Amino acid sequence: MTPFQLVKPEELAYLLPELILVGTLIWSLLLELILRPRQSRFPVAGFTLLGLLAAAVADLRLLGEPARTLFSGMIVRDDFAIIFQLLAAFAAGLVVFASIWTREVSDQPTAGQGEYYLLILGATIGMFFLVAAQNLLMLYLSMELLSLPSYLLVAWPKRSRPATEAGIKYVVYGAGASCAMIYGISLLYGLSGSLELHDLNAYVAGLSDQTALPVATFLVALLLTLAGFLFKIAAFPLFQWAPDVYQGAPTPITAFLAVGSKAAGMGALLRFLYLGLCVRGSADLFTALGGLHWPMLIAVISALTMTAGNLIALAQTNAKRLLAYSSIAHAGYILMGIPLLSVAGLTAVIFYLAVYLVMNLGAFLSVIMLENQGLPPEIKNYRGLGARSPAIAIAFSVFLFSLTGIPPLGGFIGKFYLFAALIQGRLYWLAVVGVLNSVVSLYYYANIVRRMFLEKPLDETPVPASPMLRGLLAVLALITLALGLYWIPLYQLVEFAASTLGL
Amino acid sequence: MEWVDTHLWTIPLMPLLGVLVHIFLGGTLGKKLVGILACLLVFISFGLSVVVLLRLLELPAEERHLLDNFLPWIRVGAFSADWAFRADTLSAVMLLVVTGVGFLIHVYSTGYMHDDPKYIRFFAYLNLFTFSMLVLVLASNVFLMFIGWEGVGLCSYLLIGFWFHDLNNATAGMKAFIVNRVGDWSFLCGVLLLFWSLGKYTGTYTVDFYEINRLAPELPAGIALAVGLLLFGGAAGKSAQIPLYVWLPDAMAGPTPVSALIHAATMVTAGVYMIARFSGLYLSAPDAMMVVATVGALTALFSATIALAQNDIKKVLAYSTVSQLGYMFLGVGVGAFSAGIFHLMTHAFFKGLLFLGAGSVIHGLHGEQDLRRMGALKSKMPWTWLTFMAAWLAIAGFPGLSGFFSKDEILWQAFSSEHGHWALWLVGFIAAGLTAFYMTRLVVMTFYGESRWPEHAHPHESPRNMTVPLAVLAVLCVIGGYVGVPAILHGANYFEHWMEPAVTWAAGHGGAEAAEHAAELGSHGLEALLMAASVGVALLGIGIGWWMYSRRRDIPEAAFQRWPNLYRWVLNKYYVDELYQWLVVDNLLRLTRLSGRFDLAVIDGAVNGSAWLTERVSAISGWIDNTFVDGAVNGVAEVTRAAGGRLRLIQTGRVQQYLTFAAAMVAIGVAGIILWPSIQPWLAELWSGAI
Repeated sequence: MTPFQLVKPEELAYLLPELILVGTLIWSLLLELILRPRQSRFPVAGFTLLGLLAAAVADLRLLGEPARTLFSGMIVRDDFAIIFQLLAAFAAGLVVFASIWTREVSDQPTAGQGEYYLLILGATIGMFFLVAAQNLLMLYLSMELLSLPSYLLVAWPKRSRPATEAGIKYVVYGAGASCAMIYGISLLYGLSGSLELHDLNAYVAGLSDQTALPVATFLVALLLTLAGFLFKIAAFPLFQWAPDVYQGAPTPITAFLAVGSKAAGMGALLRFLYLGLCVRGSADLFTALGGLHWPMLIAVISALTMTAGNLIALAQTNAKRLLAYSSIAHAGYILMGIPLLSVAGLTAVIFYLAVYLVMNLGAFLSVIMLENQGLPPEIKNYRGLGARSPAIAIAFSVFLFSLTGIPPLGGFIGKFYLFAALIQGRLYWLAVVGVLNSVVSLYYYANIVRRMFLEKPLDETPVPASPMLRGLLAVLALITLALGLYWIPLYQLVEFAASTLGL
Repeated sequence: MEWVDTHLWTIPLMPLLGVLVHIFLGGTLGKKLVGILACLLVFISFGLSVVVLLRLLELPAEERHLLDNFLPWIRVGAFSADWAFRADTLSAVMLLVVTGVGFLIHVYSTGYMHDDPKYIRFFAYLNLFTFSMLVLVLASNVFLMFIGWEGVGLCSYLLIGFWFHDLNNATAGMKAFIVNRVGDWSFLCGVLLLFWSLGKYTGTYTVDFYEINRLAPELPAGIALAVGLLLFGGAAGKSAQIPLYVWLPDAMAGPTPVSALIHAATMVTAGVYMIARFSGLYLSAPDAMMVVATVGALTALFSATIALAQNDIKKVLAYSTVSQLGYMFLGVGVGAFSAGIFHLMTHAFFKGLLFLGAGSVIHGLHGEQDLRRMGALKSKMPWTWLTFMAAWLAIAGFPGLSGFFSKDEILWQAFSSEHGHWALWLVGFIAAGLTAFYMTRLVVMTFYGESRWPEHAHPHESPRNMTVPLAVLAVLCVIGGYVGVPAILHGANYFEHWMEPAVTWAAGHGGAEAAEHAAELGSHGLEALLMAASVGVALLGIGIGWWMYSRRRDIPEAAFQRWPNLYRWVLNKYYVDELYQWLVVDNLLRLTRLSGRFDLAVIDGAVNGSAWLTERVSAISGWIDNTFVDGAVNGVAEVTRAAGGRLRLIQTGRVQQYLTFAAAMVAIGVAGIILWPSIQPWLAELWSGAI
C-alpha cells in the first residue's frame, strides 16, 4: 500500500491556472504595498488582467485532456471545469477592465485602490475551485472563498450608505444560506460516511432499498444543501437579497455577482446534481438515482424563479434593480435545462450561461457608462438617450433585446437551444412557462428602449464616454450579434465539455 | 486543379471583398480604382469559375459535382444546414453566366455610370449583387439559397431605386420589393412545408438539394404538388411570371446596366434555376410541372403581345424578358430542364446585349428612351448597330444563332416530352412569331428610317469600355448556341449531356427514357417539320415587321385607327396594373385605415388594460410578498412595495425577514418531503374522487 500523500508534486502541473491566479494575487499584494495608495490602481488592475489572461491560456492548454482527479479526489480537472473557469476568467477580466474607468470605483477616497482588484482576484480563485470541486468540503470552502471577497466588494465604497447597507444585507443573508448548506452537507456526511461526490453517488444508488426514514433524512439534507446553491445563483426562494444588494453595490460588482458568481454557482450545482445524484446512461442521458424526484423540484424552482423575477421586474423604475430582477429571471431560464438530465439540456444550460455572460455584462456596462456621465440608473433618466448618445443607446438596446431573446441576437439562440432541449425532453409545461415569461419580459426590456428612442430627451447635451469603455461596449455588442448569426464554434465547444461530464 | 474542390468559397469571396473595400475605402481609392477593382474581382471569380468547369471536365460524367462544406452553421441534433457550396454541372453553367456576363456588364458600367455622383456606391451594390447571386447558385442547401435569394432581391431593390431622388424610381423599387415579398412568402412556405413533410414521411430532416431530390418520390402526391406550387410561387415572383410579373417592367427605372445584369441576364432567371435545382421534386409532382409549363407558355404569349405596342425601348425589352422567361419555365415545366437552362444561358447573352445596346443608344441620345424619337442611328452608332443586329437575330430565332437552338429545343420538348402537349407548343410557337415581329419593329424604329431625334441631339458612339463588352456578347450570341446543336442537325448536343448528371441524375430517370419516348413519337421527321415551322414563323415575323415599319408605316397606323380599343388595351398592358391597384392596393389601404381605427379603439385599450393589469398583478405580488414576510416575523402588515421608500433606508430588519422567508420556504419543502409519503395516497384518492 502506498503511503497516504495528499499532494503529489506531479499533480501541481494540472493546477497551473489556479496557481497562476494565486501567484498573481500574492504579487499584486506586494505591488499594492510598494506603490503609493493613489498610484496603485492601474498597475494592480493591469497585473490582475494579465494574471487572468494567463490563467485562461493555461486552462485552454489543458482543454481536451482526459479528466484527472487531483489531491485524493478533492478537485477534478475536466473540460466541464475548464469551460466554467474560462467563463469566470472572462467575467472577472471584463469587470476589472470596466472598473478601471468606472467613476464609482475610481473616485472613492479609499486608500489603496488596488485592494479592490485583489478582492476580485480572490473571488475568482474561489470560482475556479468551486467549479472544479468534487468533494463537498472543498465545494463549501470554495463557495466561502467566493462569498467573502464578494461581501467586501459590495460594501467597498465605504462612505456610501446604500453600498454599506447592501454589504451588510449580503453578508447576513449569505451567512444564513451558508449555515443551511453546511448543515445539509454535515447531514449528507453523516448519512453516506463520505464527503466525496462519488461516495455520495454510491450511497444514493442504494437508497431505494432503504426504509423511509433515511430517505426522508437524506431529502432534508439535500434540500438544505441546495439552499446554498440557490442563494449563489439567486433562485427562488433565496433570491430576495439580490435586488437590494445589486442596487446598492458598485455597478461593476453588481455585474460580477450577476454574471460570474451566478455562472460559478450554476457550474457547482450542475456537478453536484449530475455527479452526486445521477448516473450517466447511454444515448447521452442521465438517470436520477434512488428513485428520487429532485428533477421535478428543480423544474418547479425554475418556474417559480423566472415568474417571480419577471413579474416583480415589471414594476421597477431603477435600471440596476430591474437588471437584478432580470438576472433572477434568467437564473430561472437557465435552471430549465437541468431537470432534463440530458446532454442536450446540459449543453443548453452552459451555452445560455456563456451568452448571458456577454449580454448581461454589456447591459451593466451601458449602465456604468451612463453613471460615469452623471446619469443615475433611474430609467427615467434614459429618456431620449438615442439622440444624446446614439452609440450607447444602440448597444444597450442590442443587449436588452438579446436578453429578451429576439433574433438575430445571441440570447435568441441560447433560448432556442433551451426550449429545443425542453421539447426533446418532453417537459412541455416548463417550456410553456418559459415562453410566457419571455413574453412578459419583453415589456420591461422594451420599455427602456422605448424611453431611449421614442421619448424626447430632458436636455440635448450629448453624453460622452471614455474611449476604452466605448470600445469594450462595441466589442460586447458585436459578440452578442455574432452569437446570433454564427454560434456553432461556441456551441460545439460547450457541447464537447458537457458531453464529458460524468463519463 | 483539385485545389478548387475545397476552395469554392473563394468565388463569392471576391465580390464580397469588393463590397467591403468600396464601402470602407471607396472614398480614399477614388472612382477610377474602384471601377477597376470591381471589374477585376468579378473577373477573378470568372477565372475561378472556369477552373471549376475544367475541374468538372476532368471527372467522369456521373461524378461531376464538388461539395465544399467550409463552415458549420446551424446544427440541431441530427439536422444540419451548413455554409456548403456545391458546384455541379448545373451550377457551373450558372457560375459562368453570372461571372462572365457579370464581368462584361461591370466593364460596361464603368463607362455608362462614369459621370454619376454615386459611382462608388453603384459598384458596391453591383458587387454585392454578384456575391449574393453566387451564393444563390452555389448553395448546396435551401437555407443558404434563401440567403442568396433574399440578397439579390435586396440588391435589385437598391439598384432599381438607385436614382431615388425621382419619386417614380423609388416607387418602382418598392413595387419590385413588395411583389417579390408575395413570391418569397410562397417560397418560404414551400420550403417549410417541404422540410416538415420530409421529416414526417421519410424520417429525414434535410435541406440539402441532392437529398431532397432523392427523397422527394417518397412524399405523398398531394404534398409534393403543394410544395411544387408554393415553390413555383416564389419562382414566379423572382422571375416575373403571371400573375407576379408586374414589377419587372417598372424595374426598368434603374440604370440600364442594372436592367441588363439583374433584370435580364441573372437574377430574374433565379426562379428557373431553382426549379431546375428541385428537378427531382418536380418530377414527382407532374401536376405542378403542368402548372409551371402552362403559366410559362401563357406568360410568354401574353407579354409578347404587350411588347408589340410599347414605345419605350426598355419597356419593350422588359416585356420581352418576361416573355423569354416564360419560355424557360415552359422548358423546365415539361421536364426539359437542360433546355430551360440552355435558353437561360443564351438569353443572358442576347438579352444582356440588347439591354446594353439600348443603354448605348440611350447614352448616345442623352437619356432618350422613346422609340418614336429615334431612328437612323445605324451610321451614327456603327458598333452598337452591328452588335445589336446579332442580338436581334438571335432572339428572333434566326437559324444558326444561339437563340434559335435553345428556343427550338424548348418548343420541340414542349411538343414531344411526356409532360408536354401540342397546345403548349402552339402557344410557344405563336409567341415566337410575335417575338420576331416586335424585335424587328424595335430595330427598325431605332436604327433605320428617318431620324426623329431633335436637331441638337448629336448622337454619338459610346466609348470603348462600352462597345467592347457589346462586341464580346455579340460573338457569344452568334456562337453560343453551338454547344447545344440537336441530333437532328447532326449535332452532339453537348449541353444536354453536360447537364445530365445534375438534373436527370437527380431526377432518377435518365436521358435514355426520354429518348425512347421521342422515338415513339417518331420521329426525326416530325422534329424536322416543327423546326422548319419555327424557322418559318421567325422569318415571317421578321419579314412582316420589316415591311410594315420601314415601308408601310400606314398599316399599323390604320390598324390602330380601325381597332382603337384593342390598341389602347395592349398599349396600357391590359390594365393589369390598374386592376391590381383597384383589387389589391386600394383594398389594402382601406384595410390599413380600418385597422388603424381598430387599433386606436380596441387594441390600445386592450394594451393599456393589460399593462394596467400586469402592474396590478406585480403590485399585488409585491404586497403578498411583504404581507407574508412581515406577517411571519411581526404579525404586522405595514408597507407595500409600491411605497418604495424602503430601498434607500438602512433597514437591517429586512434581511432578517428575507431570511425568514427563505427559511420558511425551506421548512415547507422539508415538511413536504417528510409528509409526502402520507399525503400522497390521500391526494391520489382525492384526485381520483374528483374525476
